[in-house]
Amino acid sequence: MKFKQIVLFLFCFVVFMAFGSVSESAAQEISDKELLKDASGEELQEVISSYQGEKAVLVNVWATWCAPCIEEFPYIVDLKQKYEDKLHVIFISADFPSQREKALEFLKEQNVDWTTYFKTGKDQPFIEAISDDWSGALPFTKILDNEGNLVANWEQGAEYEKFERYIKKAINN
Amino acid sequence: MTIMKLHKLLYALPILLAAGIIAFLPVEDKKADRLEIGAKAPLTDVKVTDVSGEVLTLKEVAGENGLLVNFSCNTCPWVEAWEDRYNPISKMAEENGIGVIMLNPNAAIRDDGESMEDMQARAKSSGYDFYYALDEGAKLAEAFGATRTPDIFLFNSDMELVYTGAIDDNAKSAEEVEQPYLKNAIQSLVAGKEINPKTTKALGCTIKWPK
Repeated sequence: MKFKQIVLFLFCFVVFMAFGSVSESAAQEISDKELLKDASGEELQEVISSYQGEKAVLVNVWATWCAPCIEEFPYIVDLKQKYEDKLHVIFISADFPSQREKALEFLKEQNVDWTTYFKTGKDQPFIEAISDDWSGALPFTKILDNEGNLVANWEQGAEYEKFERYIKKAINN
Repeated sequence: MTIMKLHKLLYALPILLAAGIIAFLPVEDKKADRLEIGAKAPLTDVKVTDVSGEVLTLKEVAGENGLLVNFSCNTCPWVEAWEDRYNPISKMAEENGIGVIMLNPNAAIRDDGESMEDMQARAKSSGYDFYYALDEGAKLAEAFGATRTPDIFLFNSDMELVYTGAIDDNAKSAEEVEQPYLKNAIQSLVAGKEINPKTTKALGCTIKWPK
């Protein structure tokens, strides 16, 4: 009887451990390589355009050293989940290459589970590829409707309500 | 109420309603547009206080060949990235008769690293060899249409803007700069040659405008 109890316990233990690791990997299905991909301005233009006809797009350029970027980041993550079916969010880290690991850690802390991007190349072509209206100041946000038309863009941090207002406008356009 | 008055009220009501709605619509923050090339430097008689305690104006700082203004601050890593280039550029500018001033416009976070005391500490630790003054209420930054730190504005002897934007094309490393935009602009200005490019962009921190 005691032997059977031990076997049963071990079986339950193994099953528990197996499910535990499954749920852990489910929470982080995306590899580091996919979570943060290097991308030039040109490549990012292609990514942004690829959603035309499918979903509205919110592009946000941020950096780990940028306090207003960090403050508004969870708002955007939350809104992405809220409007998942109609909105895609493209996060682009403008951190220095030495801070890439830090950017990756931050993304994980924020439970980001979709592909985001890490700026490569020089500032000027990157800034110009993202938006003519952007001077290079961080954070920067632009929101497009699902036809790729510009709905809003701004430099400076923003509150949750402002993001939601323009996301709704983009979705309803 | 007479019928006439009621009619008037009915006509006025939609107008009043529209006015009320417009009044409560969210107003987007829109700072002034960046000064255009050729525009005169604004607010050149406005007094600013340097870290040394000296009170001066942009007009007084300007040299015989022009003026270099850099909107900067203490807390932005992008400002820090170019730190090794501020003194050499200032020296070059001054040797060519161009006065130099760095202005701190971060009015919203004076208590968070951008006070005069913080500026004094920074100027001392970095050995700044140029004026570093406080832009009270970010008035100058707003008038110039500056948007980030650092942000460069170079004026000629008539105080007309001839170059604005980035210091060069590589914040990370002075050795890997391919396009020293500002140095080239200064050299061209002094030589009477055309400056090209006249405007450039670089990443930086948003200016912390007063609330």
